[in-house]
Amino acid sequence: METEQKRFDSGDLPALRRILCEQGLLSRPDGSASWIQGDTSVLVGIYGPTEVKVSKEIYDKATFEVLLKPKIGLPGVYERSREQMIKKTCEAVVLGTLHPRSSITIVIQVVTDAGSLLSSCLNATCMGLVDAGLPMNSLFCGVTCALDADGNITLDPAMKQEKEARAVLTFAIDSAEKKILMSNTKGSCSVEELQQCIAASQRAADTIFQFYRDSAHRKYSKW
Amino acid sequence: MKETPLSNCEKRFLLRAIEERKRLDGRQCYDYRNIRISFGTDYGCCIVELGKTRVLGQVSCELVSPKPNRATEGILFFNLELSPMASPAFEPGRQSDLLVKLNRLLERCLRNSKCIDTESLCVVAGEKVWQIRVDLHLLNHNGNIIDAASIAAIVALCHFRRPDVSVQGEEVTLYTPEERDPVPLSIHHMPICVSFAFFQQGTYLLVDPSEQEERVMDGLLVIAMNKHCEICTIQSSGGIMLLKDQVLLCSKVTGVKVAEITELIQKALANDQKVRKEGGKFGFAESIPNQRITAFKIEQATIDTDDVQEQAEEIIAKASPPSEVLANPVLWAPGTAQIGEGVENSWGDFEESEKEEEEEEVAQDKSTTDDQTMEMGDTSVGNQDKKDETIVLSDSEEEDVIILEPEGAQKNRTETSYKQDIASKKPVSKKK
Amino acid sequence: MAAAGGFRTVEPLEYYRRFLKENCRPDGRELGEFRTTTVNVGSITTADGSALVKLGNTTVICGIKAEFAVPPVDSSNKGYIVPNVDLPLLCSSRFRPGPPGEEAQAASQFMADVIENSQVVMKEDLCIVDGKLAWVLYCDMICLDYDGNLLDACMCAFLAALKNVQLPAVSINEETGLAEVNLKEKTPLTIRKEPVAASFILFDSLLIVDPTAEEEDLATGTVTIVTDEEGKLCAVHKPGGSTLTGAKLQDCISRAVTRHKEVKKLLDKLIKSKKAK
Repeated sequence: METEQKRFDSGDLPALRRILCEQGLLSRPDGSASWIQGDTSVLVGIYGPTEVKVSKEIYDKATFEVLLKPKIGLPGVYERSREQMIKKTCEAVVLGTLHPRSSITIVIQVVTDAGSLLSSCLNATCMGLVDAGLPMNSLFCGVTCALDADGNITLDPAMKQEKEARAVLTFAIDSAEKKILMSNTKGSCSVEELQQCIAASQRAADTIFQFYRDSAHRKYSKW
Repeated sequence: MKETPLSNCEKRFLLRAIEERKRLDGRQCYDYRNIRISFGTDYGCCIVELGKTRVLGQVSCELVSPKPNRATEGILFFNLELSPMASPAFEPGRQSDLLVKLNRLLERCLRNSKCIDTESLCVVAGEKVWQIRVDLHLLNHNGNIIDAASIAAIVALCHFRRPDVSVQGEEVTLYTPEERDPVPLSIHHMPICVSFAFFQQGTYLLVDPSEQEERVMDGLLVIAMNKHCEICTIQSSGGIMLLKDQVLLCSKVTGVKVAEITELIQKALANDQKVRKEGGKFGFAESIPNQRITAFKIEQATIDTDDVQEQAEEIIAKASPPSEVLANPVLWAPGTAQIGEGVENSWGDFEESEKEEEEEEVAQDKSTTDDQTMEMGDTSVGNQDKKDETIVLSDSEEEDVIILEPEGAQKNRTETSYKQDIASKKPVSKKK
Repeated sequence: MAAAGGFRTVEPLEYYRRFLKENCRPDGRELGEFRTTTVNVGSITTADGSALVKLGNTTVICGIKAEFAVPPVDSSNKGYIVPNVDLPLLCSSRFRPGPPGEEAQAASQFMADVIENSQVVMKEDLCIVDGKLAWVLYCDMICLDYDGNLLDACMCAFLAALKNVQLPAVSINEETGLAEVNLKEKTPLTIRKEPVAASFILFDSLLIVDPTAEEEDLATGTVTIVTDEEGKLCAVHKPGGSTLTGAKLQDCISRAVTRHKEVKKLLDKLIKSKKAK
């Protein structure tokens, strides 16, 4: 709520909400991260690479399993489809071939949903993977764009803005070449608007990658 | 994944330490680990940390019809989930024995103790009552789940505010938080569980066992109590025999612990309320210690998106526009058509036997109708011609029979027909 | 031939790469070529609307059943559309019996998303009496033969079946307050948008249209683009996988727009032929 007030003050410039991340906060998982973006808060725990069930074993690469847990009630079809997207994004980035016949389990717990949930989940997952020390060929981040009725782009929309928007687009962008890893759209938009959103997301991705870098820098500053 | 078993020497080490009245984390026998309570931005959302054990609680509400035998009472629902995040041994969606046991205990502690006034949750007797749902997620398992869960549940319930309602006649109006301030639940008392672990057949006793201590304990006694020292539920498990004095001692210790915890909860609640009232910062973001080296924060960052439009236009301009060469659809029978000259599918006599006819048909279609313009008259003529020569799909007629059709009525075979088509359609049905 | 078959089994990836070098695919198609699409509407007599779509070997049948329901409390002037994709055991050996698997659930959610995004049917159109009675359309898509590109086939079957739906007129009896169904008067649904999907796979930065199941297994990523008749995007669905630049995505969109025109032409012709009969 307090962030929303601030946003109106900031004028028309598109902006990312405040970002806060804490890594390694859980003792049991091999990697964990809490990601807070505005008021949206997500917690990720990662186990792996560990023993895999025989039925799920893949002989030449690691088996990924992603669980997205909603805050209220049991996971449904919506969660399943989001899990699949996050799973395939991770598979493309994590070098699973280095850990054949093992499992990597990613558990994502929604703590507060205040807009841009999918992109927060992606960011939290990436920070968790970094904390777990899994080998990756690049980092990735999630950016959500909302298009209002006039076609203006709002980056990282809050819940209210997301509801009022004509279309909401979420992209996962990789750090190596700033290409699109994942895309998910809600509502309909024109081709021009899509390309604009992609370009805007790529700009926003720079800020998030800088955040990743600074965060890692701080984490290892006392070594 | 299976839980990594505790080795024999680890077990012996732990038990020896307990015999010497020492605990691995340096606590005394009756000490609790640190309890930390933080609140989310939503009402009814909290995270309780008991040492490294962490539980997320969220309360939600919904208007439902009451149970027939309790027409004037609201419904309370508890659901504790052992998330696989908490320990690799927890499988998602599985009702393990431990989970069932914990959920039962939680219900006994919070529902059966009548700590929530369920009658105040009634909106219209026999028709609409509030269902209060408490979701608890275990995020990190480091022993003593039940104590952490019971604290999280009661804190979340105290923190929760439900939307205000008003009843006028039969109309039930729900108010948004902007219209009317949401109302808190009426809570009579706050039952809190305290666990005691017994070792060596009850010789040694520890309060608030950690995960490793839980693995070597012989028995567990859980007492739920409120700050008035009223016992709400008591459960002994593990099959150890306890003496009367032991139970009395435990209940005395419980009384002290519950008083401490209750005070902490009330302080936390008051603090959160104060901050909210004063318009200060609240939520989980504020509860992350900033000085921690693993935590990092940036304030709102503006993104320069000035030339985004040009960049998008450039990409679109460079890309090849959609080609205008289109495959022409081939109509096989009314209701069946095809496009594409790619590979045929490999199954089916259907295609093979039709291949020749298809070609004929294309030729014929091209001659009769100019480049397959879709004039209604033309196509229908084409179809009828074709039906005369080759009965392509004899059952395609039956496909169109509508089951709901009243008997005796003129058989309207075509579902898609509009009224004005009836005249043109009659000869078709007669022909059959 | 036997040698080629062996090569295919042992080194499927290398086998496939050899074809791609020559800009063609093992089944003889070009990279940007769809398989033959065959559509039959009105295939199920007991359904209110139905269609069977064959995309090469992939076969999906869609049946739409209309039933009465009470509109949701929070939006009393709306009906429901409930899509469900079923991948039974019979369509491929890769699926297991039991509750719907991950792929079926993801496909169902995708269909629900597209229906919501494109507003193909306004839910307000399905309301009969405000707050009392509305239509619920159960759209069941069952895959009969699974050979890749499930989403395109489902989307096409769904749209064709939707165009085939005939809803009887409903009036409310003043005295009894009950709904009366007039089966003689049937009207088709108002279809506002016509979403058509086009799927691609990514293979070493190459884009390949309409993949078979074998190609999907070898691919490093998939993209599905759904466009409507105005060329607007109803869904750009890329669930992870290899990376893609905006320019490449633009190529996908161009192909999807062309595909939309083809499918629209096909469906228009079909519906005309049904009417004419």
